[in-house]
Amino acid sequence: MLDFQRQAWSAFAQGQSGLIHAPTGSGKTLAAWGGAVNQLVDVTPRTGLNVLWITPLRALAADTSRALNRPLAALGKPDMVAMRTGDTSAYRRKKLIEQPPPALVTTPESLSLMLSYADAPSRMKSIQAVFVDEWHELLGSKRGVLLQLALARLRSLNPVLQVWGLSATVGNLEEACAALMPVGHTGTCIQGRTDRPLEIETLLPESLQRFPLAGRMGLTQLPSVTQRIEQAESTLVFTNTRNQAENWYGAIQSVSAEPERIALHHGSIDRALRDHAEQGLADGSLKCVVATSSLDLGVDFSPVDQVIQIGSPKGIARLIQRAGRSGHRPGASARLICVPTHALEVLELAAVRARIEQRRVESREPIRLALDVLSQHLVTVAMGGGFEADTMIDEVRSCPAFHELSRHQWQWTLDFITRGGPALQAYPNFHKVVESNGRMRVSNRRIAMLHRLNIGTISADGALQVKFVKGGSLGQVEERFITRLRPGDRFIFAGRSLELVRVRDMTAYVKKSSSKKATVPSWAGGRMPLSTLLADGMLNLFNAYADNQLPAGAEIQHVLPLLEQQQRQSGLPGTGRLLIEQLTSRDGAHLFLYPFAGRLAHEGLAALIAWRLAQLAPVTFSITVNDYGMELLSARPLQPSVEQWRQVLSVEHLERDIRRSLDAANMAKYHFRDIARVAGMVQRGFPGKNKPMRHLQASSGLIFDVLKEHDPDHLLLEQAQREVLEGQLEFQRIHAALDRATGQAIVLKQTDRLTPLAFPLWADRLRSQLSSEDWQARVDRMLGSLEQRVGSE
Amino acid sequence: MMQIVLNNNLLELLPERALWWPDRRLLMIADVHLGKDQVFRRHGIAIPGSVLHSELEALSRMVGRYRPEQLLVLGDWVHAPPSADDDWPETVRRWRTVHGQLSIDLVLGNHDRRLDAWLSQWRMGRIDHALELDGLQLIHAVDAEQAEIKPGVSGHWHPCVHLRSGRESLRMPAFALRDQHLILPSFGRFTGGMDGLEQYGWQLLAVAGQRIAAINPP
Repeated sequence: MLDFQRQAWSAFAQGQSGLIHAPTGSGKTLAAWGGAVNQLVDVTPRTGLNVLWITPLRALAADTSRALNRPLAALGKPDMVAMRTGDTSAYRRKKLIEQPPPALVTTPESLSLMLSYADAPSRMKSIQAVFVDEWHELLGSKRGVLLQLALARLRSLNPVLQVWGLSATVGNLEEACAALMPVGHTGTCIQGRTDRPLEIETLLPESLQRFPLAGRMGLTQLPSVTQRIEQAESTLVFTNTRNQAENWYGAIQSVSAEPERIALHHGSIDRALRDHAEQGLADGSLKCVVATSSLDLGVDFSPVDQVIQIGSPKGIARLIQRAGRSGHRPGASARLICVPTHALEVLELAAVRARIEQRRVESREPIRLALDVLSQHLVTVAMGGGFEADTMIDEVRSCPAFHELSRHQWQWTLDFITRGGPALQAYPNFHKVVESNGRMRVSNRRIAMLHRLNIGTISADGALQVKFVKGGSLGQVEERFITRLRPGDRFIFAGRSLELVRVRDMTAYVKKSSSKKATVPSWAGGRMPLSTLLADGMLNLFNAYADNQLPAGAEIQHVLPLLEQQQRQSGLPGTGRLLIEQLTSRDGAHLFLYPFAGRLAHEGLAALIAWRLAQLAPVTFSITVNDYGMELLSARPLQPSVEQWRQVLSVEHLERDIRRSLDAANMAKYHFRDIARVAGMVQRGFPGKNKPMRHLQASSGLIFDVLKEHDPDHLLLEQAQREVLEGQLEFQRIHAALDRATGQAIVLKQTDRLTPLAFPLWADRLRSQLSSEDWQARVDRMLGSLEQRVGSE
Repeated sequence: MMQIVLNNNLLELLPERALWWPDRRLLMIADVHLGKDQVFRRHGIAIPGSVLHSELEALSRMVGRYRPEQLLVLGDWVHAPPSADDDWPETVRRWRTVHGQLSIDLVLGNHDRRLDAWLSQWRMGRIDHALELDGLQLIHAVDAEQAEIKPGVSGHWHPCVHLRSGRESLRMPAFALRDQHLILPSFGRFTGGMDGLEQYGWQLLAVAGQRIAAINPP
């Protein structure tokens, strides 16, 4: 037994709560579970549910309950642990309620569902301990908020409830631990066995010249990657987007001697196909699985010989997690082969190496004051025995996520679920939650039924089933993607070339396409921005270059010529220098800025800068961004002075100007769909069930417009605005970038051709038009471009 | 405003999402879906009740502007049969008394069920299937995917245009025209829309603010 395991067991025995953090495969599960095993062995039957084990993925529940049963069975107590997820049959769920097992493995949503049954308080007060597995995965999401609220509920039922989180290493461990505790408690942080040694190898092409400066696929490296795959027994290839996964899967298959031993795994693929991939890797029938983050989690996922990462992992935590999938033998080091897809990514990998040496990992910021989740939870509790408003507010505020909940926000949320909104007559005949004898309850069965269906929509992007017209399911794909296609469009999905036939009742019907020319899906959502930690790591390397103190290493050697070229042609950015390049070409006047704040923040920053520049003199820009910087292209030459740049990059009135510069209203409307779903304002389509409640269908966009017109102070609209700023645009990073710029030297460089930093931006396709035209003109322009397109066909 | 000729009848497409027949002083609308907000509230979805008022106000404004003798609703006047304790049908009745001179008829749509008692309260004429006028069939729904279409006017599909240009995207209600047949956009603001009618050969005439714009070739 390991030290930290003993430590965890004794802390548990003393009735403490806390967090155990250790890398994947280091005995974390046993450390947490051991304490519960001691307790469960003494449990007499029929005392009700004693221990809950929360897992973020229902796909993991079966493996987990098997693993948790093992030590108990060895002690002569078999079948103590059962599981309950969204996949559990109604019959089985009923059984679990009537004869509760001593321990249950479940998901946050399933737990919430359990809290919605009328007898929940009497049935669930027997719970003594809750373990939250892979807490780092839930921490920064609304699912984590929902779980916090559920824990507060359980704590109200049993004040001595123990809660233990299990987490991989994150930058803000103390905050992660506190998020599971009631406000005012810190919890015990137990540090697991230190990270296994991590070996990173970068697959470098023979020469820099043969390496593209831009491009995301990285398929030029296919030969060396396949060579590595051939040499090993089993390989896991991680990509950053499904698009990349589909491409690499196709490419590896096409050159492999045994294409049937290569499989694909991503979140949209049908469960059966995913199971096949996981199983095949475990039993050795598969040689290689190409996966996205869909395989980032997993308890007993059997280790593979090697892990290959295509493209930069964009963050340290993610890289460590993925490397952990290789060689779980105790004492063996985790190995990761990184395959950069373009030249500058080599530098990213050098920054990764430096950060790992410094033992720095990204933080995950918990979400606060999500009123959509709160209103969902309050309806759940109103169904599960009801609540008294005066005591409930204290319970809610005991969650770190709602510690700062104001009276106004609380009252608004109560009004929202009891009478639709604060104004008395605004929502006639609305009786979702009603007060009777001082308790808030749901009395309408139809409303209760709809609410149960609604629990668990958190994080679910509208998903459509993909099916062949002739039958046979292929998996799920995001609505956002499919709605962009027209019947007849071709796309690659699950490794096949398909043609869209029609979309009906939450199902996309497709047929096989003979043509290999397809609009390959580009799931933009899969593209994570470069983490601040890594971006700053790159700036540090530029600093080191300037100071002649670059660390040694193959990556550095490889990109050195590129840095030299950048320096010769223009200059290098750095923590103390903001580089701005000006270039005139056939296309117009280019401005390149390199704040290194990540792609999302650059989008907002670029729009802001364009808008502010347009205030100095009327001008329209084409905007392109990537993780390193941005390009602003205008027809008219524009050469702001350093003083003008200072003005444009000022932190003053940042939020106001961001809202003006971006179509923030429209973005909020788009984002509102997630909030509306969580708050139960749009009904989820039910894949498999046809004609889902037709009369209740209204798009979230429509509801957004209606609320904006008729109830403009609706707090969920405000929340949409806030979440767009904070989440989508990474307002904090924009703020930090401008803050830093205040102290930076602004280095203006006139260049005569594209520099290595500028080239990828120039080549990037993501362009958008910023203009200050009015709406009618915008319609005209869009009509014009459409007519042009139609005319050219 | 945009003029079209259907089977030798001059008709005007109005940006108010309605059709004006000047010779007959007849105003046509479709798919108002009154009471939809109440259906949502009954299911625990908080949609403001003022949605109904703004639909009726929009109707009043239009009636004031064009001074029609007759208003013809091409189906789906209501979203669902009113419940006994709903107060919105009474609000509609009060609205009706303001426009006492106007004759209003309803071609029954698929949503207009169990309405007879209220139709007489609202003094609305009931047309079970379709109305034939000057060689035009005025009906609730046609099969938009089918090749054969009779000259006429209908509703039901809530046609929409979805424009995309770069990262911008814009959705607008639209009229759909094919083979001397016109499908009206939904009049109700709290209704969704359907993209893609152009696949079946319909020309879409988008309602863009105060004007109507043809956006695909006939």
